[in-house]
Amino acid sequence: MTAPVLSLQDVSKSFGGIQAVKGCSFDVAPHLITGLIGPNGAGKTTVFNMITGFLPPDTGSIRLRGEELRGRAPHEIEHKGVARTFQHLRLWQKMTVLDNVMLGCSTPLGENVLTLFLRPGAVAAEEAAARLQAMEVLEFFGLTDRAGELAESLAYPEQKLLSMARIYASDADVLLLDEPTSGLDNEWLHRLVPIVRKLADNGKTVLLIEHNMELVSELSDEVVFLHQGEVIARGKPAEITRDPALNEIYFGV
Amino acid sequence: MSAYFAHYLVMVGVYGILAISLNLLVGYSGIFSMAHAAIYGIGAYASAIVALKLGMGFWGGLVVAGLTGALASALIAIPSLRVAGDYYIVASFGLQTVIVTVFSEWTSLTNGHAGLPGIPRPTLFGWQIDSPFKYVILAFGLTLFTYLVCRRITRSAFGRVMQAVRDDEIAAQAMGRNVVGVKIVVAVVSSALGALGGSLYAHYITYVNPSSFQLHESIFIMSLVILGGSERLAGPLVGAFILLAVPEALKFLAIPDSVAAPMRQIFYGALLVAFMFLRPEGMLGREKVKVKS
Amino acid sequence: MDLLLQLLATGIVVGSLYALCAVGWGLIYGTTLHFHVAHGAVFTLAAYYAYVGQTLLGLPLWLAVVAAILAAALSGLLIDLLIYQPLERRGAVRTVVFIASLGLLIVVENVVAIVFSADPLRLDIGVLRTSLRLGPVYLTWLHALTVAFAVVGFCALVLFLRYSRWGHAIRAVSSAPEMARTVGINLGRVQLLTYALGSAISAPAGILVAMDVGAEPYRGTRFVLLASVAVIMGGIGSLPGALLGGLFLGLLENLGVWKIPSEWQAAISFGVFLLFIVVRPRGMFGRRVASADL
Repeated sequence: MTAPVLSLQDVSKSFGGIQAVKGCSFDVAPHLITGLIGPNGAGKTTVFNMITGFLPPDTGSIRLRGEELRGRAPHEIEHKGVARTFQHLRLWQKMTVLDNVMLGCSTPLGENVLTLFLRPGAVAAEEAAARLQAMEVLEFFGLTDRAGELAESLAYPEQKLLSMARIYASDADVLLLDEPTSGLDNEWLHRLVPIVRKLADNGKTVLLIEHNMELVSELSDEVVFLHQGEVIARGKPAEITRDPALNEIYFGV
Repeated sequence: MSAYFAHYLVMVGVYGILAISLNLLVGYSGIFSMAHAAIYGIGAYASAIVALKLGMGFWGGLVVAGLTGALASALIAIPSLRVAGDYYIVASFGLQTVIVTVFSEWTSLTNGHAGLPGIPRPTLFGWQIDSPFKYVILAFGLTLFTYLVCRRITRSAFGRVMQAVRDDEIAAQAMGRNVVGVKIVVAVVSSALGALGGSLYAHYITYVNPSSFQLHESIFIMSLVILGGSERLAGPLVGAFILLAVPEALKFLAIPDSVAAPMRQIFYGALLVAFMFLRPEGMLGREKVKVKS
Repeated sequence: MDLLLQLLATGIVVGSLYALCAVGWGLIYGTTLHFHVAHGAVFTLAAYYAYVGQTLLGLPLWLAVVAAILAAALSGLLIDLLIYQPLERRGAVRTVVFIASLGLLIVVENVVAIVFSADPLRLDIGVLRTSLRLGPVYLTWLHALTVAFAVVGFCALVLFLRYSRWGHAIRAVSSAPEMARTVGINLGRVQLLTYALGSAISAPAGILVAMDVGAEPYRGTRFVLLASVAVIMGGIGSLPGALLGGLFLGLLENLGVWKIPSEWQAAISFGVFLLFIVVRPRGMFGRRVASADL
């Protein structure tokens, strides 16, 4: 059994009087797609927020390849190789599709005001390389002909693709996808699933929050079931989705 | 060119530098500062002091002005932007107040309310800048320099990050950007450039005193940005062309001074309010972090 | 020692003024997140309302003060009703609302300066001018009244917020606006009430200062800046924090005079502020400063 890429140990978080996440522990295996599922309000997005540093956990540890992530700022965590999408997308609506993806690329010279003026040649080369990389990413996601348009002009499914393209452009090898399939019709679902599969095939580790129980089996190699902030089951999707007790929890009595 | 018109153009240059640099901060990054008049003054005084007390030339003074402006800005930006934009507003308000006190009270350095007269005129390769026309060229050059620096910044990867931070700070953090660091850099650059305007002013009027750098001056510079429009880098320059012509127009109406000054302020204040209703674009951006528990 | 006690007493009096301003501003900021610099305009107007009431309308002092407080409350409410809420309905971001607020402050101050001139306008406070001796300390009854206003005003506000229905509504909106809306609270009305209350509690500060040294058009800017400093140091969302922050600034200013020339007082207060936000950004009693809407 290979060492887990991401490991949560006894993580908990409460807001005021409400315990959103309690004693949550699970591992995420490398190069696989792990689904984080559970009914609404189970604490899934809260877990994402804690992994990515937007919310500090009350207790527990979150380790990436053995290194503790707890207490680090979101941008530092991203540099360590963890990138996420948002349920509400959070695209830069007034910027072009290409710019959105280029912000996923690494352009340290162009982002440093000193090198910007003192090393114009290197900056130009870096920008050209980033642009090339961004165009390749857009091609992977089928968005090439939308490159020059503003993000806000894209249809919702394309915006979802763009939010994934953005993190794919970064060198992050652990991708956290927050409800990648929500709001998509069947046609788009069938286009998206192979793309997410390809991400894992390309060596990325994917942890995704998924609501659609039917998709869970198609999309995940492993599943973690969260209910009222606790991990109550983990295993292969087939076992989990067929378990009557879990189905009852998920769909309600 | 009449000396009068040349004077107008030089002052457009001075305020153009101030307004374009402020635009980088307020318009392009959504960070509001009340202290741009203080930065203006810091540039003017720093440049004047090194010229008068150390015999440094104009060009050296420019560099000192820029560095001093950058330093003063960093002093308030680093602690406050770490926390929230509103903290920066308060800190800038405080800086503005303190700097004016420094100009008025630290008499051994700044000569207090009497000000510093006799600031030497600039020379370029032994060629002295002493005619109105030569000052217009100098002002134009410095304004162009400021504009080009700002343009290089906004059209770069850094500029991309600035816009991302302004439009959705959370997403920028999630994509690995040190949002606080970016804001601090913008504040420091904006102030370094703004200080150059002060340096130009000092070596043009050849006299500085505290009354030119009060809070109402910060309001005026802000009005230039709002009127000219913050979406384009050079927009505030247009604002300068327009608003600097207004006092002249007012003079024709023979209004007593005691009323003219508050009237001008009412005009600028009303402009700010009106434009927030009529033309808030450029200031529009997606709501960022909500300051709440 | 006598000097120290005198400065302490003056510090408490001035601190009470700052506290009144801070509590009002802090209530508004904590509930609406508006950086309401135009609060300085309301502060200024309150003083001139009292002056007009007494000098032009011939009202007895107490009535002029009450009327001025009510007029100031109304003024604050109108600012929100006519400027802030319409801007927000058009989707204005916070910077836009702030710039409008700043513009409004400038306009009001300068209109007052033209109408009433920039010279201080004295109110006739008669018996309040008589001195009051507490041991080695010399004060006037006006000073005692100032402290009383701060204490009583603060307590009244706290009681209102804790025990009245509208007070609960304000607190709900302050801590969780979306949830407040879902339980049927009318956010717009609560916001108006917040502005009225916040203006009402700070108005006495403007009036009391005017009673002491005369009404001036440009004093409000300095007071609203100090109010925001006090609120940050006391902790955003904490009214006791704002009160203590204001008191602290008053004491700092006056005790500072002992060793430091008065022109540098603002610099000292500002330096303390910077130190505070480095060491404890959330202030004395603040909750966490910023959390994101994820």
